[in-house]
Amino acid sequence: MSTDVDDTIQHEPAVRSRRGPLGRLYHGETAIDFYGRRWIGISASILLLVVTVVSLFASGLNLSLDFKGGVVWEIPTETLTQDRAREILEENGIDSSNAKVQELISQDTGARSLEVQVGDQPDELRQQVQRAFAEEVGVVAEDVSTNSVSSTWGRSITSKALRALVVFMVLVALFISWRLEWEMAFAAIVAMVHDVAISVGVYSLFGFEVTPATVVAFLTILGFSLYDTIVVFDKVKENEGRYSGSRVPYADVLNVSMNQVLMRSLNTSLAAVLPVLSLLVLGSGVLGAVTLREFALALLVGLLTGSYSSVFIASPLVAMVKERQPRFKTLRGRHATGPELERLVHGGLPSARREGVRSRPVDEAAASGAELSPAEVLTHTPRPRKKRRRA
Amino acid sequence: MRRRLILTLLSIVVLAYGGFAAVMLTGTEPALGLDLQGGISVTQRVKPGTEYSDASLALAVERIRDRVDSLGVAEPEILSQGDTIVVNLPGVKNQQQAVDLVQVTGRVLLRPVIGDCQEVTPQEPTDSTDVPSDSTTPSSGSTDTTVPAPSTTVAPSTTASTDTTVAPSTTGAPGPSRSITATDTTVPLLGAAPTSVADTTTTAAATTTTADSTTTTTTTSDSTGTTTTTEPPVLDENGIPVQESDPYGQQYLQVKGTNVYCPVGPAWNPDGADPIEGSGEVFTDNAVAAVLDTGWGVTVDLNDGNGGRSTWNEIASACYNQTDQCPSGQLAIELDGIIQSNPSMNEPFFSGGVQISGQFTQAEASALAEVINSGSLPVQLKLEAVQSVSPSLGEGSLRAALLSGLAGVLLVLLFMIAYYRLLGLIVAIGLTVSGTLIYAVVSLLSRTQGLALSLSGIAGIIVSVGVTVDSYVVFFERLKDEVKSGKTMRNSAQRGFTNAWRAIVVADLVSLLGALVLWYLTVGAVRGFAFFLGLSTLTDMLVAYTFTRPTVLLLSRTTWMERRKVMGIEAATAGGTA
Repeated sequence: MSTDVDDTIQHEPAVRSRRGPLGRLYHGETAIDFYGRRWIGISASILLLVVTVVSLFASGLNLSLDFKGGVVWEIPTETLTQDRAREILEENGIDSSNAKVQELISQDTGARSLEVQVGDQPDELRQQVQRAFAEEVGVVAEDVSTNSVSSTWGRSITSKALRALVVFMVLVALFISWRLEWEMAFAAIVAMVHDVAISVGVYSLFGFEVTPATVVAFLTILGFSLYDTIVVFDKVKENEGRYSGSRVPYADVLNVSMNQVLMRSLNTSLAAVLPVLSLLVLGSGVLGAVTLREFALALLVGLLTGSYSSVFIASPLVAMVKERQPRFKTLRGRHATGPELERLVHGGLPSARREGVRSRPVDEAAASGAELSPAEVLTHTPRPRKKRRRA
Repeated sequence: MRRRLILTLLSIVVLAYGGFAAVMLTGTEPALGLDLQGGISVTQRVKPGTEYSDASLALAVERIRDRVDSLGVAEPEILSQGDTIVVNLPGVKNQQQAVDLVQVTGRVLLRPVIGDCQEVTPQEPTDSTDVPSDSTTPSSGSTDTTVPAPSTTVAPSTTASTDTTVAPSTTGAPGPSRSITATDTTVPLLGAAPTSVADTTTTAAATTTTADSTTTTTTTSDSTGTTTTTEPPVLDENGIPVQESDPYGQQYLQVKGTNVYCPVGPAWNPDGADPIEGSGEVFTDNAVAAVLDTGWGVTVDLNDGNGGRSTWNEIASACYNQTDQCPSGQLAIELDGIIQSNPSMNEPFFSGGVQISGQFTQAEASALAEVINSGSLPVQLKLEAVQSVSPSLGEGSLRAALLSGLAGVLLVLLFMIAYYRLLGLIVAIGLTVSGTLIYAVVSLLSRTQGLALSLSGIAGIIVSVGVTVDSYVVFFERLKDEVKSGKTMRNSAQRGFTNAWRAIVVADLVSLLGALVLWYLTVGAVRGFAFFLGLSTLTDMLVAYTFTRPTVLLLSRTTWMERRKVMGIEAATAGGTA
């Protein structure tokens, strides 16, 4: 390892400063003070959450038949009017005031059809009305397609999905606590709830219909967002171990880790968004598959909030919780910024300004060792030679 | 070390591409789900608050499967989970037909056989002028082969009374069989084939052998020649005999596993009670297949509660004495329109246990025991949802999903190559490895397990591209870090992977956890998605360890990799070669 030292001495901030912002990003040389700007992200999220809550109270969610239960008839007809459809409902003893009747024009053929939706009805009545509609427009009963979902079933799939979500969160929390730290589990779950809430808000605000496909898409996103968060946390945990010898504010650990994985986060998010954009623009836009649109839309909304929350919600939260602990408490509010942060990101050791609080001689030695390679400085005291991997 | 890496790499590549080639050559393709093909989905659930046993639910699923198969629906998907059964029927358009098809009652009925059973082979309907008559002309023994004749008997298992008198009076008298045809207009005319089929003798266990043999010979000689095949009792538009059970009327019902139809009377219910008295509930659920004197049979106890025993004994006495209610002396055990067994009664009175003996195979006896058990506590299903998916939308969606998915993946690959140069190429090859692997597994499961690829599944796979690519990104970013900190390429690759692998495993385990939770706790589309999420996550880990790792490690040993340009790291940044 000692042979590496000479090669890497050139790693100094001065060398890097000649690159532009994009170049620095590409070469992993950013030094963004995420922690210092945490309130920007948190405020934005709170704002979005307020909008979500207001929207939910004002307009609620546009749930599809699968969740509410009910019956839909789709009648292929050029002539049947909406009023006449309602009359037919009344003739069969169904209150038409709550019925939803709308015209559909097929994108492929331009054929018109009428969609009539009412609440939960017995199977016999559903068939009776189906026949009545068919008779009215002069087609065989089978040409009037119907969908029916009992309201108990609708409730049960909703509650099943919610239960699955809760069980998932609990398990994830336990798992992260075990593999990483409970603070991280807490932050990851908060970020996840945040993602769900914001996505629900978007659906409520724009009145998009929530279908089982949407739920599937959300779940994909939760998994993905969590995945993203965990990769960041894994790096934080690793850096925390590296700095364990010296007294570094948790904010620094976080900032350093975030900058180190920034490129990876951006790349991954881009790699995930590209296929979804393709589904949305090409699949549902150009090729006109409506089912795909619901799906891709939910995915896109979720992906964006997911990527956002792992950087701007989950990570600052961990730092804020961690800072209250005795080990980091004394160091609060003293995190590095600017060039100092940049130096840390590139593996520099904590600067002398914290010398006063440093207590262990090992750290002193490390601190004075400016000629050491960054890789070595970051780790603990040099391990005995025999334990090292062959170089 | 090097050899091991090469070996690992070779195995995974051979596994993926070989599996893909094998699947392609054998023409196995993933079955398409309902949303891609169009069709009808029917969801049923056990009525809340009713008791049922897992076995009876499993049997209901089995029954649904039988019925769906008999309709000839291509690639039906029958999913049961917890108390819910979802049946997806791709390509089916008639909703009512679908609903009727999957609504099974699970109710086992005891119905006296009131005439001669008929062998009906699905053929061109011949002129059906032969009025069912007593078979008189023994002709070729052709029917012997067509008529599987497990002669079954019912005997009290407790009493060992050697009742040799039990002459199997199975051959139905001409009278009753004619009367059926006369009264029941829906039943077409049939050649009368006396019930050689599941010929039923009621003897005490000890004497069954002789009784059986008699029966068999009698019936065989009787039935031969009379198997004039005409059209089946009632045909639906697909030429499949209608199997709707009408417990209150007389009808012909098919004997399980044969082309034999027996005329049966209404389910035993002299008092007009509701629910019907003569049901499987007269038994307890302790039916087991057992070796009896005559070979495999079934023993079961009568249910003391609910008047089960007295009902059974009423039936037993009626059949034993061949009263008008049970002229043939045989009792049909019916489940959802299929006669599971039609033993004749060998005893007028049963004190506790019942034996059904005959020429069963062990499997047949077990199946009958299962039916009796499920009938003792029938599962009551409630129709929860009926949904039809228009196939035109399905086709369009499929094409769109495939095209846009491929375009998306291509974009990702271009981006990767632009960013990571040579390493980007590894991503491209790695994705083909994952892709072929997933395709092969899905095709295989589709053939063996009836797994259907739905739109959400396809979208799930496309999205998982993001996760898969992420594994590469995590690894490559680590690799770059290591190189930048001045290590040799060889060391960097090794250390980079070790570090990245930890992150990949933690993150993937969370995805896997999610997939498992969803799989166990949800139904329908979400569950299908969970499967594909789990599959792609596992593939991701497998490919990362067995493909990406050896590839990069091996490349890192070549001098060629030392030119850092190949991985998008400038030599200046990385320092000189070590």
